Amino acid sequence: MIATSIKWTRHNLFGKPLDVVLSLLVIPGVLWLAYTITDWAFASAKWDIVVQSLRVLMIGVFPADQAWRAWTASAIIGAILGAGLGCVFCFKPHHGLVLLLVPVLLLIVDGGLENALPATGIIASTILGWALTSYVPLTRKVLPAAAFTGFIVIVAVMAPPGVGLWGGLLLSVLLTLVTSVLSLPIGILLAFGRQSRLSSLRIICTWYIEVMRSVPLILVVYWIWILMPVLEPQWGLADVARGMIGFTIFYSAYVAEYVRSGLQAVPRAQTEAARSLGMSEFDINRSIVLPQALRVVVAPLVGNVLDIFNSAPLVFIIGLTDFLRAGQMILANPQYGDRTFEVLSFLLVTYFVIGSMITYAARKLEDHMATGTR
Amino acid sequence: MTIHETSAVRGMVDHDHLKSRRLRNRIRHEAIQFGVIAIVVALLGMLAYAVKSGLAEKGIRFSFSFLANTAGFDISEGWTLTSGESFLPDFTLFSPDMTVASAFVTGIFNTAKIAILAIILSTVLGTMLGVGRLSTNWVVRNLCFWIVEFVRNTPLLIQLVFWYFAVVLRFPPMASAAHLYGLIVSQQGVYVPALSWVGGVSILSIALATLILVSAVGAIFDPIKGMRRVCVPAAVICFALLFVRGGVELNFPVANKFKASGGTSISPEMAALLLAIVVNSASFIAETVRGAIDALPKSQWEAAASLGLSRRYTVNDIVLPQVFRVVLPSFGNQYISLTKNTALGIAVGYPDLFNIYGTIANQTGHSLEGIIIVMASYLILSWIISTLVYWANRRLNPTGVPR
Repeated sequence: MIATSIKWTRHNLFGKPLDVVLSLLVIPGVLWLAYTITDWAFASAKWDIVVQSLRVLMIGVFPADQAWRAWTASAIIGAILGAGLGCVFCFKPHHGLVLLLVPVLLLIVDGGLENALPATGIIASTILGWALTSYVPLTRKVLPAAAFTGFIVIVAVMAPPGVGLWGGLLLSVLLTLVTSVLSLPIGILLAFGRQSRLSSLRIICTWYIEVMRSVPLILVVYWIWILMPVLEPQWGLADVARGMIGFTIFYSAYVAEYVRSGLQAVPRAQTEAARSLGMSEFDINRSIVLPQALRVVVAPLVGNVLDIFNSAPLVFIIGLTDFLRAGQMILANPQYGDRTFEVLSFLLVTYFVIGSMITYAARKLEDHMATGTR
Repeated sequence: MTIHETSAVRGMVDHDHLKSRRLRNRIRHEAIQFGVIAIVVALLGMLAYAVKSGLAEKGIRFSFSFLANTAGFDISEGWTLTSGESFLPDFTLFSPDMTVASAFVTGIFNTAKIAILAIILSTVLGTMLGVGRLSTNWVVRNLCFWIVEFVRNTPLLIQLVFWYFAVVLRFPPMASAAHLYGLIVSQQGVYVPALSWVGGVSILSIALATLILVSAVGAIFDPIKGMRRVCVPAAVICFALLFVRGGVELNFPVANKFKASGGTSISPEMAALLLAIVVNSASFIAETVRGAIDALPKSQWEAAASLGLSRRYTVNDIVLPQVFRVVLPSFGNQYISLTKNTALGIAVGYPDLFNIYGTIANQTGHSLEGIIIVMASYLILSWIISTLVYWANRRLNPTGVPR
C-alpha cells in the first residue's frame, strides 16, 4: 500500500526535474489556499445572513405572504425539468436520496420549517416528475403538452401580485427556460433561411445572425427594453416580458448557428435519397434533414442553455431583481455591509452547482446521442 | 429535376415543354425573391414609421445633430480625438466641454484599450492553462481542470462583481500599499512603471524611434522569414540605444498620501474588469487549446518520443505549432466575445462604450440614435478582429499546405 503510494507520488508528482519544481511550488500554495478557504468557511464566515435572506435570494422581492405562489411555480418547474431528465436518464433511488439531502440540510442549518418546507415540496415534485417519465414511457409522449400547460399555470399563479415583482433565482430559471424554448423554433427557421436557395432570404438571415453575434447581449436587451414602449405604448409590456424578448432575439442567432452546423452534418445522400422518393422540399426538410440535424446539435444546444443561464444576471440593466441583484440588495443593507464574501461566494457556488449539472447533462447527452447513430 | 422530367416517355424529352417549364420556374423563383424583399422592406418601413411617430408623441425628433453639442458630463478616464489647431486631430484626455461625439470616441477608446490588453493576456494565460491540463504533474493538471471548470460554469457578471467588491476594493489603501519594483497595488488603483518620452525633438531620438517602428512593423509584416528574424534584434538594439542616449526613460510611480504620481495608473474599475475578462476568456481559450491538443493524432506524440525528444520539446516544437494552426479561428471567436463582454463594465462603473452611451442617452434623450452608433461601433470592432484573425490564419496556413 505504502509502496504503491510512493510509486504513485514519484510517478505523478516528482517524475521529472520540471515536475519537482512545479510540485514544490504549487503544492504548498494549494494547501495554503485550501486551508485559508476551509478556515474561513467553517470558522470565521457568518453564514446566517444567507439562511436569513434565502427567500429574497430565491424569489426576490415577491411579497412574503404570497410566497406560496412562487414556491408552487418552482415546484412545477422542478417537475418539468425532472420529467425532461427522466426521458434521458433513468431514475434511481439513490438520486432521490441525494436530492432529499437539500431540505434535510436546510432543516439542520435553519432550525425552522420556513425554508425547509418549500424545498421539500420542490424536490419532491422534481423526483416525482423524474420517476414518472423514467418508469412510465407513455408519459414522455404527453410531456411537451404537459410542459406547455405547466408554463401557463406558472404564469397564472405568479401573475396576481404583479409581474414586476418576479425575481431571484426563480426569475433567472424562468428567463432561461422561456428563452431556450422560444429561441429554438426561431433559430431553426433562421438556419434554414441562411441555407435557402432564395438569395434575398439568405442575405437577410445571414445579416441578422452576424449582427446579433457581434453586438453585446446587454445592448440588445437594453435596446428592446427602450424600443418596445416607443413602438407599442398601449401594450404596456412588463419589464420581464421585454427582457425575455430581448434574450430570445439575441439567442435565436446563436441557436441558428448551432442548427446550421447540424444541417451541414447531414450527408447529402439523405436529401438526394428523399428527393428520389419524390418527397417535396418541405417534407424532406421536416422529416429527413431536421431530425438528423437536431440529433447532432442536442449537446451544443444544452451548452447554449448554460450560456443563457450564465447571462441571466445581465437583466440588472433593465432593473429586474435577479439572483445577483437580490444578493446585492442584501449587501446594500448597512447592517450586512461586511458580508460581501459570504453572499458572493454563495451566489458563485450555487451557479457553479447548477452550471455543472447542465454541463454534465450535456456531456451525457452527447454520449447518449453518439451511441446507436448510423 | 423532378420525377416527371426524368421519366419522359421512351427517353424522348419534349424540349419546348421543358423550356416553358424552366421559364415558369424561374419566374416563380424571381417572384418569391421579390416578395421576400418587399415584405422585409415593408416591415422595416413600418418599424421606422412606428418609431418615428412614437418619438413624435413624446416630442423627440430623430436626428444626429446632438453629436455636435457640448457633452457637459465628465468621464473618469480615457482619451479622445478633438479637432485641434493643426490639420491632425488632437489626442487628449476627455473634458466636459467637448462634444458628445468626442465622448463616444472616448468610449470606443476605452473599450478597445481593455479589449487589446485582455486579448494579449488571456491568450497567454489560456494557453498556459490548456497545456497545464495535459501536464504530467497530477496537482497542476487537476488545479488547471478545476479552475477552468469553475470559471466556465459561473456567470462572468458575478465573477466581475466578485473581483471588484471582494478583491480590488479590498486592496490596502495607498498609505500601506504593496510596493514591488515600482508596481504599486492599492485601493486607489494599480500603478505600473511607464516609458516616457524625454528626447524632445532631437534628430537622433526621432530617427531611432522611427527605426524602432519600422523594424517592429517589419518583424510582423515582412514576407521573408530571414528579414523578420533580423528585424527583431534590430528593434531591440535601437530601443537600447534610445534608452542609453536618454531618449526615453522608465517612469516609476511614487506613492503619495492618497494618490501615486508618475507611471501608468490602472483604475480599480479597469483592474477588476480586466481581471474578470482575462480569467474568463483564458478558461474558454484553455478549453479550446486542450480540445485541439486532444484532437492531434497520437502518432505525433509517438513519433516525437521515438526521436528521443523530451516532453518539453515535444510540446513546444511539435504539438503547439500544429495546435495554433487549428485553433486560430476559435481564438478569433473568443476574442470577439471578449470584446463584447467589455460592455459589462457598466456594472462596476468602468467608462466603456456602453456605459458612456447610457450617460449620453440619459443626458440628451437620444437613446435610439445612440444605439445605432454603438451597434455600428461594436460591429466594426468585431469585423476588425475577424479580419485580423483571418489574415493571421492565412499566414499560418498558406493555401496548398496540407494539415
